[in-house]
Amino acid sequence: MILQVRQLTKEFDGKAVLRGVDLDLAEGQVKVIMGPSGCGKSTLLRCINRLIEPTAGKVLFRGEDVLRAEADVRALRQQIGFVFQQFALYRHLSALDNVTLGLRKLRGMHAREANEKAMHELQRMNMAEHAHKYPAHLSGGQKQRVAIARALAMDPAVLFFDEPTSALDPLMSREVISVINQLYMDNITMLCVTHDMFLAKYIADQVLFLDAGVVRAEGSAEELFSGHSDPRIREFFIHEHHS
Amino acid sequence: MDFFQIVSLLALGAGYTVLVTLACIATGLVSGIAVALLGRLQIGPLAWVLAVYTYVFRGIPVLVLLFIVFFGLPWFGLNFPPLVSMMLSLGLITGAYLAEVFRGALAAVDEYEIMAAEAMGMNRRQVLLSIEMPQMLRFAAPGMLNEFTTVLKYSPFAYTVGIPEIMKQAMALAAITLRGLEIYLAIGLLYFAIYKLMLALLRAVERRFSVPGFNLL
Repeated sequence: MILQVRQLTKEFDGKAVLRGVDLDLAEGQVKVIMGPSGCGKSTLLRCINRLIEPTAGKVLFRGEDVLRAEADVRALRQQIGFVFQQFALYRHLSALDNVTLGLRKLRGMHAREANEKAMHELQRMNMAEHAHKYPAHLSGGQKQRVAIARALAMDPAVLFFDEPTSALDPLMSREVISVINQLYMDNITMLCVTHDMFLAKYIADQVLFLDAGVVRAEGSAEELFSGHSDPRIREFFIHEHHS
Repeated sequence: MDFFQIVSLLALGAGYTVLVTLACIATGLVSGIAVALLGRLQIGPLAWVLAVYTYVFRGIPVLVLLFIVFFGLPWFGLNFPPLVSMMLSLGLITGAYLAEVFRGALAAVDEYEIMAAEAMGMNRRQVLLSIEMPQMLRFAAPGMLNEFTTVLKYSPFAYTVGIPEIMKQAMALAAITLRGLEIYLAIGLLYFAIYKLMLALLRAVERRFSVPGFNLL
């Protein structure tokens, strides 16, 4: 098991956003987290890699408790590739330099070695021909593919996606879904927060429905999307399907 | 006094003006960048000290601070040469203003880019130096140019501590030739020429570091 989350709780100013979330992620597994806006999906991802400090609970990464005071947070983060909804490419760096930065600063690679590795990842994302462009000259879909290449370059044990297609129009969205699907084929372990049922159907081994900070249901995309016994879940997916 | 002598005196003065301006800009840049970046780290008492520095140094007139440094500090056994006195007065005041320009530029750095760098495993120093500072310097370019021009225009104060820059040479020439109007008009043009030169230099720097998406100078 790569990741085990137990009774994870997060409160902001006394208001509980996560209320005892349990989650398991096995090697090679792809889990998709869905649920209404504000249900705590993004907070959950950020609590696992401690971009946000959880209030209580346990997070075991490869069996090691990463919420311990003496845990090496930076080492943990280097094993979790994170892809944001807002792409978050470094605007002052070319696509290539966005990918090499971590390799040079964190892996201590020399420029040539880092460039080779980065070009390999950009190629994988069909972005090699845009390697020397700056983010301002890339489309949303292209930016997100560079962001994925940047995360992959660090050879992470798991990839986190925080609504990777939400800021994209349908066409660009398909473009990104197709590369994420490729990662699925390559057996990459992924935890993906999304509203996109199309993406979830493509890649999810399991879908987790989060509602008001608790896991309300867990199952295959099929089970959750088509007439779930819980009316709240049924209503959510009917609405998402039409949106 | 012939034309050649006048020109060579003014050229010598221009050399000193450029020297004073560059020395004060360098002092201002180093102190401004240091104050802005250290301020960003929000280290309790240090943040307070930095805030006091920017507040106080922006409130003191350049000439007053220059006289405190050059004529006042020797009372405490601290003797600084004229150029160093300029750097400690005009330079540090420029640093205080630049720190504010940089603070605004840092606020313009996208929080998600910072978060992405942290999520990648970078420590605070790496994020500051690899992500925030390079963007800060680009966002701050127009404000920096303003401050640099202000330094050039305050550089005549250097004559009060004995640096033979343009203004000092002009006063001497006016006294000798009794043709103040022509002399001061000429040095007005000389300052303008130095300003244009400085601008051309900065534009060259801009071309070297410009990145699509950042509107620099």
